[in-house]
Amino acid sequence: MSAKHTHITDVVVVGAGLAAERSAIEAASAGLNVIILSLVPPRRSHSTAAQGGMQASLGNAAMAKGDNPQIHFEDTVKGSDWGCDQEVAKMFTETVPIMIRQLDYWGVPWNRVVAGKKKLPSGLEVEDTKDKEGLITARDFGGVAKWRCCYTSDGTGHTVQFVVDTVVCKMGITVHDRMEAISLIHDGETCLGVVARCLRTGDLNVYLAKSTVIATGGAGRLYAASTNAVINEGTGGAIALNTGLVPLGNMEAVQFHPTGMPPVWILMTEGARGDGGYLLDKNLHRFMPDYEPKKKELASRDVVSRRMIQHIRAGYGVESKYAPQHLWLDIRHLGRKWVWTNLREIATIAMNFNGLDPAKDLVPVLPTQHYTMGGIRTNKHGFAYGLKGLFAIGEAACWDLHGFNRLGGNSLAETVTAGYLVGIQLAKYTLGATQKFDYKLVEGFVKKEEERIKNLISGKNGKENVWEIRAAAQNAMMDHVHIFRTGKSLQEGVAKLQELYKRSLKIGLRSSGQGANPELAQALRMPGMIRTSLCIAYGALMRTESRGSHFREDFPKRDDVNWLKRTLAYWKEGADLPTLDYEPVACPYMPPGDRGYGEATAPAKGK
Amino acid sequence: MELAKNLQKTLNQKANPKTDLYVDLAESVTGIILVGFLWMHMLFVGTIYINNGVLFNSLSEGLDKYYLAQIGIPATVLVILIHIFMAGRRAPMRLRDLRIAWRLTKSLKHTDTWIWVGQVITALIIGIMASMHLWEIMTTWPIEATKSAHRVALDGIAFMGGFSIKYYLWFYVALLLAGEYHAGFGLYRIFVKWGWFERHKMGYVLKGITLIILFIGFGALYMFIRLAEMVPLGGALH
Amino acid sequence: MSRNITLSIFRYNPNIPGDTPRMQDYKLEEYSGMTLFVALNEIREKQDPTLMFDFVCRAAICGSCAMLINGRPGLACKTLTKNLPSRFTLMPLPVFKLIGDLSVDTGTWFRNLQVRTESWIHTNKKFDPNALEVRMSNETAEAIYEPERCIECGCCVATCITANIREDFIGATGINRVSRFLIDPRDERTDREYFEVVGNEDGAFGCVGLMACDDYCPMEVPLQKQLALVRRKMAAAGLKLDLKGMKIS
Repeated sequence: MSAKHTHITDVVVVGAGLAAERSAIEAASAGLNVIILSLVPPRRSHSTAAQGGMQASLGNAAMAKGDNPQIHFEDTVKGSDWGCDQEVAKMFTETVPIMIRQLDYWGVPWNRVVAGKKKLPSGLEVEDTKDKEGLITARDFGGVAKWRCCYTSDGTGHTVQFVVDTVVCKMGITVHDRMEAISLIHDGETCLGVVARCLRTGDLNVYLAKSTVIATGGAGRLYAASTNAVINEGTGGAIALNTGLVPLGNMEAVQFHPTGMPPVWILMTEGARGDGGYLLDKNLHRFMPDYEPKKKELASRDVVSRRMIQHIRAGYGVESKYAPQHLWLDIRHLGRKWVWTNLREIATIAMNFNGLDPAKDLVPVLPTQHYTMGGIRTNKHGFAYGLKGLFAIGEAACWDLHGFNRLGGNSLAETVTAGYLVGIQLAKYTLGATQKFDYKLVEGFVKKEEERIKNLISGKNGKENVWEIRAAAQNAMMDHVHIFRTGKSLQEGVAKLQELYKRSLKIGLRSSGQGANPELAQALRMPGMIRTSLCIAYGALMRTESRGSHFREDFPKRDDVNWLKRTLAYWKEGADLPTLDYEPVACPYMPPGDRGYGEATAPAKGK
Repeated sequence: MELAKNLQKTLNQKANPKTDLYVDLAESVTGIILVGFLWMHMLFVGTIYINNGVLFNSLSEGLDKYYLAQIGIPATVLVILIHIFMAGRRAPMRLRDLRIAWRLTKSLKHTDTWIWVGQVITALIIGIMASMHLWEIMTTWPIEATKSAHRVALDGIAFMGGFSIKYYLWFYVALLLAGEYHAGFGLYRIFVKWGWFERHKMGYVLKGITLIILFIGFGALYMFIRLAEMVPLGGALH
Repeated sequence: MSRNITLSIFRYNPNIPGDTPRMQDYKLEEYSGMTLFVALNEIREKQDPTLMFDFVCRAAICGSCAMLINGRPGLACKTLTKNLPSRFTLMPLPVFKLIGDLSVDTGTWFRNLQVRTESWIHTNKKFDPNALEVRMSNETAEAIYEPERCIECGCCVATCITANIREDFIGATGINRVSRFLIDPRDERTDREYFEVVGNEDGAFGCVGLMACDDYCPMEVPLQKQLALVRRKMAAAGLKLDLKGMKIS
């Protein structure tokens, strides 16, 4: 058996979420042939689950007056705890307003400014002026100086993805859904395309392209509890890592969202707090102002998440049927109309899964894995390190807009903006590139995958159970590589993961593996997933400081002298640990300073 | 195969592209007319309550005198035929379609879908029984209260023990139920499709009207039977 | 509290030669808060690794997991087993092509729909990166968002008898999708252009009005309202327009 089909094209995009589709549009606009590969139809991508909105300094809403890209830039850098690439952040903040307007031109029904006086839940009175009426409005979000989060109710990701997909449809860009890229084809210097497994038939396909773009989203499912979709297993990053040439950047930077809803761990949007929601403890006391007098519930996510766990550790957690320990999200005071129009999606989720009506009930929340700041390390134009013709964008990439903590509303904004900016560079590169491939080389990569499949089916390497290994790896991440980290615990975590990695190489299927067998799909991903987990755990162990979402209890301070640098994790053939390398993080526009919130600004004091 | 289908579609466009619209409109409009006709018809029949049928008879004479029957009956038949063709085209016809529709309906347990199955069945019932009814009326023209009364009260086949079935009475009970069911829900569906009213509230109103009409209908049947006991066939009303 | 439940699941993988459609029983111990997402994954991981089904977001946002749950369409991820009898059936959605077991190919069906109904903003304006956005009232934006909320799960199509027996019918989701553009001031299509797309039996005039779509839509999109809106608009357009010019040349 060899590859069933071979497709030759200019650009192959792995993933069909917002970043993927936006870059495909740019490449296709330059006249290139593009094929999009995706695990699921584009409109099922996890981008659609982004609820809150997209940060862009339009400055239309009353509380947004005077906003501009510079302020957005400063918020982003502070949010990243000076871990981001400031040049990228500059480009991004200057471009994102244009992106919002282009999305509007394409059809996104952004909520608009309605003129008039209004009283906010905080008691503050604001007035939206007549001259701004009908322009795109914005809501408040965590860690920002101005209201900047453009939204369509709480289905922003949904509407943006659907609208961008209409453009993909209109341009006639080819999409092969249920097609999973399982390895990159390369000659040691240049990426030549991917080997993909069809999730309809189980057949192997080869895609040969001048440029390969990885936009497969995050890796939340490396954790047992995550707000991420079940398809977010970090497979794009894993296949890049598997080449041994492409590094993953800053994998230890993992974001925990303050408000995941137990026991299903579905996200309650930050918009709930942006619109005026409170966090309450077991005494129904609003505790965030005690810790963060200035930003209260709207400090950056890393800070709010830590404060929540800190408060639970102090004995104020709620014990209930939802979770052994959690806190409450309270949006009752926003009123029924507001809850069921502007926060309808989360109201529906609370109703569906816990039978709670947020207009009258408290909703259980607990910090939950949410976002992977790290990813395939690229330069500011989206070119991946290590291989020519390989690009990465969106959550799968470490373009490094987010550093060690991403601001809410910057991810959706990044997908579209990076898709556009990298798309331009990608098109330029591809137009100048020549297609070359050595058939033997390509055949070799296909053979290797066939061999893996054959061995998994026959159980040649062992009979380990893929689901058991996955569950054990996910739990190891929960136990050792979570919000609060210590050297000792991380060490144990790394050891457990190394053990599991070795077992993952001995997986044997219990089923026949025929057709689009789901066990085989999982088994093929498993070693790559644990490698990625090890990049996170080992990176966290070695980084002996606290920065953004990476918090070491044994090194609680940010250390700009030794650690103003980015981790690069490589996986050498035959290794059972990543090889770590570091590169400096430049701060050309804004030297490291005080964030204005968090432990460094307001030391812990409890109640 | 795909090409051939597309060719057919392309050729179809040559015909008036508004045909589908006209067909859809015709179904709704004929439906509304027929509901109107049926309800008027039942109100007329209901006049049997008044004056022991004197008004009933004079209305019938009026139909003749002003040629309303001569124009009205063929016109109604025409409207019915149009309605059958327009609405019937959407019912599952092929055995395969019938099977799919039936299996899905059973699986869904969805009220409105079951109601529609009822509409298809009542349509068939009405098609047969209304023709019989029309034939009966035409062959015994003109309409007179006592004639109608004795038809309804007519004893049918006798069974063992002297028990007999008034088959005309049961014929009319069945036709009345089928007609009202089809008309009431038909009107509901027209309103649903064109969206003039909120679906659930409208359902209650139409069910109410249907019940009233049924009440009138059953009452009229009862009045006919009583009338038949009081007045012999051919006897004068007073 | 806990009870034993039996899931009777449709099994058939067209890609395995010799496989035949059948129902297969799986027994599970139910626990509090168990959804079909949890139940099906438990079956796959502990009992039968070949079982095929689709989940993505598991939060009723992405529309991947629609199936016939005890005969009725719904999203498996948000269905709590405690609301079902102790024995129930799971079947794949009809109409869509079967991939295997509970997994169907909604992606291709919906892709065709987008292309057929030209579901994108049609405008002759050029995007000007330096200009402000065109103003719009917030009410209009919210009115567009209402039909736009459709997640293309396919429940409305699967429950529609017309869609089940006539493969060209675009279903409630298709008509709803068109309604979203019809009310969008940014779309410059004329009534005639819309009429060409949905002013026919495969579109607005094909609906018989059974309203299973409206009753079973997991997103509670007001389908009756949107379907009727398109029907009225298309009827008005059809009666007003002189469509002689539409003949093919």
